Amino acid sequence: MTHERRETGHGYIGLPHPYTERAPERDHGSLRPARRGAPVGTAALTSSGTMRRIAVPFATPAPVTARPPALRAADCLAVIPARDEAATVGAVVAGVREALGCAVLVVDDASHDETGAAARAAGAQSLRLSFGLGAWGATQTGIRYAQRNGYAGVITLDADGQHEPASLPALFEAQQRTAANVVIGTCVGRLSRAKRVAWLYLRGLTGLRLTDFTSGLRLYDAQAVAILAGPEASLLDYQDVGVLMLLAKNGLRIDETPVPMLPRREGHSRVFASWPVVARYMMHTTVLCLAQIDAGRRKEKVLQEGCSAC
Amino acid sequence: MLTGQITSAILGIALAGAILFLVRRDHLHGPYAVWWFVIAAATFLLGVFPRIVIWLGHQTGIFYAPVLPIIIGLSLVLIRLLKLDVDRSKQERRIRRLTQKLAILEQELTRLGGNPPAEAPGDDEDS
Repeated sequence: MTHERRETGHGYIGLPHPYTERAPERDHGSLRPARRGAPVGTAALTSSGTMRRIAVPFATPAPVTARPPALRAADCLAVIPARDEAATVGAVVAGVREALGCAVLVVDDASHDETGAAARAAGAQSLRLSFGLGAWGATQTGIRYAQRNGYAGVITLDADGQHEPASLPALFEAQQRTAANVVIGTCVGRLSRAKRVAWLYLRGLTGLRLTDFTSGLRLYDAQAVAILAGPEASLLDYQDVGVLMLLAKNGLRIDETPVPMLPRREGHSRVFASWPVVARYMMHTTVLCLAQIDAGRRKEKVLQEGCSAC
Repeated sequence: MLTGQITSAILGIALAGAILFLVRRDHLHGPYAVWWFVIAAATFLLGVFPRIVIWLGHQTGIFYAPVLPIIIGLSLVLIRLLKLDVDRSKQERRIRRLTQKLAILEQELTRLGGNPPAEAPGDDEDS
């Protein structure tokens, strides 16, 4: 019987944003996500005179299975969660800026070194969390920032330099090709035997047909961003299964594309650090999956229905 | 029998008194106070009138009546613990979201030309 107020997750964006000078998107079902400086689309809805340029006005919210527009790298925000990665984050930021030409945001997860300063020196914006929220908490901060500032999508990657910047455009190509809401960059060759067994187990448990669940290299479109910015995603501790299940539950399409990956220059995997950590992670994930056991399968059903309709 | 009843009455009154004292001193807020107030009343009644337990045992068909308050007590403790964890999860979610919002607002402050004083790394950590 506590007196509670449910946080809506979007309450604070009700006012026009001072930087974009227009109200951010509130319609999660919209096919046309907020796009910075885009000539058509949502901007047309708020300013007069451009209404005719909308190709297909949707009277009702479009079904989530419909084909989303292709993302342009320049409209997206690259989010790099970083904790004590001052040695590598500068090079990663520079690489991303060169490869994609998009804005880069480094979320400093309460580092004890100069991660934030190194990121800013390399030309990124940086956010600093007051205390460590973990990789997913930091990533979600970046996703909320992107939503608040009207970016069309978010691409996330690790700060330790294991993702080759040159391979980033491949994710956008895959998104264009498959029209998926989420594209995961996977390096199958990198997976150890323990990971393969773990993923086999998780595939069976979740019903999601993916080869790599923990890859930090992902591209989210506006629909995925809207879902992941919400409070429902705030209690997740890892960015992998819980996040993917949440997206699948909402009927979004998740795809994978193989990319080359480098060995980590510094640091180590937060999930596969030691056996007790792995055991805790697997237990945690199993409970999470059991609580939402139908999510992945429901997604397939939604997709099938979508196919039979068209 | 009489001494036993006195002991249980003293225990019940002491527990109820302690709870009431804490509630009255505003150490427990709203819904918690109600819950503990009910518990205080129950311990007081059961302590002073232990025959209630025997009567309840008859009514519920429990052969060994003294085990009844233990069962009820344990169940209430479990319910309370569960509620505690639910509340803690809710608070954790709020803390995380507020931390994220704080980071975003700090960045916007800087972008707008504000100059927040530099903090030492790990400033907000309590450990």
